[in-house]
Amino acid sequence: MNTASQAEVSEIDPSARCTLTLLIATALFWLVVSGVLALLNFIQAFTPTFLADCPLFTYGRLRALQETAFLYGWAANAGVAVALWLLARLGGAPQRSLNWTRAGTVFWNVGVLAGLIGIACGEGSSAAGLHLPGYIQPLLLVAFGAMAVPGVLAWTGRSRPVTFAAQWYAVAALFLFPWLFSAAQVTLLCAPVRGVLQAIAGGWFVQGLWTLWLAPLALAAAYYLLPKITGRVIPNYDFASFGFWTLLVVGGWTGGRHLVGGPVPAWVVTVAIVSCTLLLIHYLVVAINLRGAFGQPGVVLKFVGFGLAAYLLGGLADAVTAMRSVAVLTQFTWFAQAQSQLALGGAFSMIVFGAIYFLTPRITGQAWLSTPLIRAHYAAAGLGTVVLIGSLAAAGWVQGHDLANASVSFADIAVHTRPWLQTAAAAQALLVVGNALFALHFLRSVCPCNAGATTLPFRQPPTMEASAS
Amino acid sequence: MSAPSPHDPRLEQAGATDESLLAAHEQALGKKPDDKAHYKLLPLALLFIFSGIIFYAGTYLNHYSGGYSAAVFDENGHPAAGAAPAKIDPLVLGKKNYELVCTTCHQATGLGVPGVYPPLAGSEWVNGSEERMIRIVVYGLKGPLHVKGANFGAAAMPVFGKVAGSGYNWNDEKIAAVLSYVRQEWGNKSAPITADKVAAIRAKEGDRKEWAQDELLKLP
Repeated sequence: MNTASQAEVSEIDPSARCTLTLLIATALFWLVVSGVLALLNFIQAFTPTFLADCPLFTYGRLRALQETAFLYGWAANAGVAVALWLLARLGGAPQRSLNWTRAGTVFWNVGVLAGLIGIACGEGSSAAGLHLPGYIQPLLLVAFGAMAVPGVLAWTGRSRPVTFAAQWYAVAALFLFPWLFSAAQVTLLCAPVRGVLQAIAGGWFVQGLWTLWLAPLALAAAYYLLPKITGRVIPNYDFASFGFWTLLVVGGWTGGRHLVGGPVPAWVVTVAIVSCTLLLIHYLVVAINLRGAFGQPGVVLKFVGFGLAAYLLGGLADAVTAMRSVAVLTQFTWFAQAQSQLALGGAFSMIVFGAIYFLTPRITGQAWLSTPLIRAHYAAAGLGTVVLIGSLAAAGWVQGHDLANASVSFADIAVHTRPWLQTAAAAQALLVVGNALFALHFLRSVCPCNAGATTLPFRQPPTMEASAS
Repeated sequence: MSAPSPHDPRLEQAGATDESLLAAHEQALGKKPDDKAHYKLLPLALLFIFSGIIFYAGTYLNHYSGGYSAAVFDENGHPAAGAAPAKIDPLVLGKKNYELVCTTCHQATGLGVPGVYPPLAGSEWVNGSEERMIRIVVYGLKGPLHVKGANFGAAAMPVFGKVAGSGYNWNDEKIAAVLSYVRQEWGNKSAPITADKVAAIRAKEGDRKEWAQDELLKLP
């Protein structure tokens, strides 16, 4: 048994223990912070007087704060952790230069903290997804470069000549984020482009953050975890590279879907609509490749399956709501919030939760402490996400129809959406509780004082048989 | 100790080693020839679905892109129909350009500055031969000039046309507009000048230096 557990827990994982623990712990901290901020924000949406007298937490600033804490606090740290881990495993060698990641993580998180304080003090920028004050952003760019160094080294120095889909997505995400982030800083903050171009650049960035950064990170985890746990070859794997390149080439063109009906040349929006449709090819390939994740036993694949379902549904929703006739109703309503929750909270977070549940025992060398806490987290996260997205979508639908009807006053629209927003706030509260439980469970499980608390052994995994596929 | 469940939530067991995972997927990439013709239906169906999506996307792009014109904001608009250049009144265009450039010397009153800049109002040059008038503006004029009974020792009309050495590069339409404006303002009552006429003269003369009074007087 001892040899078996040594083979599964190779030197690859424990050597990264300190770094990955730091990344995931900070990520979970920001996840809970952003969840609490989002909850306050939802309460303000149906109780406008709540915190309205406190300049640090007015509705607009709170909205920017929770979005920034989620994207740059939770998603960035957790995504980098998962990408580094799977690149090292698939590269077949322990990670090198982890000092870079540790230093980068410290600077990144200090930067995020300073940026959040800056936003609360009213120094944030107005571009969606880029609310951090302009003076903090170059620091984050450099810090991200440092954090990603071991991932790039694991890719270039991989001991096996063959590559796997999970590696493509992870490496692409590590390289694409600095590109998106630096281009957005230049075009929106340093030397802002003028007029209409600014809206186009903003739409490109906020959409690119999802399609070119967070979606590839989540897909990298899903593509690795599914065959790793089931032990079966991904069906129709020869299509995977096609799906990958479709996302990379077409994904960046979908930004204009936020500008339907806006003061931009018609072709910008049309190209975005067409790109959303073409991305269906990518979603179809992902669905065929990863369909095995649905209905699997085991908590990791339950999270991955949930996230995958949200990912595919989100792709379909993007394609449908990008249509001009549908966008007329859904744009600028809570429906857009529901879509972004579907992508960020439903797809990205759930898949990354699964990855964290799988990788943590391997970096610490011992199992999680509590089964009930894991089940509670899954129940809270799953139920919270479904109800949150459902109620936001319903609120958006009601709001969109009311807005299109000139005889309904704004006050009446607020009354009509109120019950749905209250439901959303309740769901968000449930999410916060679930994620806080997860954060505490993680901290207790990695704490050295609990070493040896569980004695579950690692099994030596069997060899994967090449299928006839 | 009993064998742990493979799906204990606290420790998800791996179903394959990383080496075999990579090797098996490398093999799945269809490196083997399909000599027994076991063509799978799924790829074929996907081919049709992908083609359908691409066909739809291409058609939509073709119909609603407004010719990729930066000036078309309505997806149903077409640059040829919707954004046709509006008919510009030559007098408006002429007045605008006169006030932008010509007033510096000839003044808003068209009277010029006695002894330095010749007047346009009531000038026999302005109201006279189209041939001479167009040549002066397109190619410029240098040397002494006699206008309305007064002598101007060293007139220096700049080069305005789209010709070599021009600092303004005005197109024929603009020149015709300014000339037409000048010929009906301040009590002048001469026929407008067309852009075609300007183009014809420019084609005939090609590139040349500024005109002098004597040369111009030889022309009709």
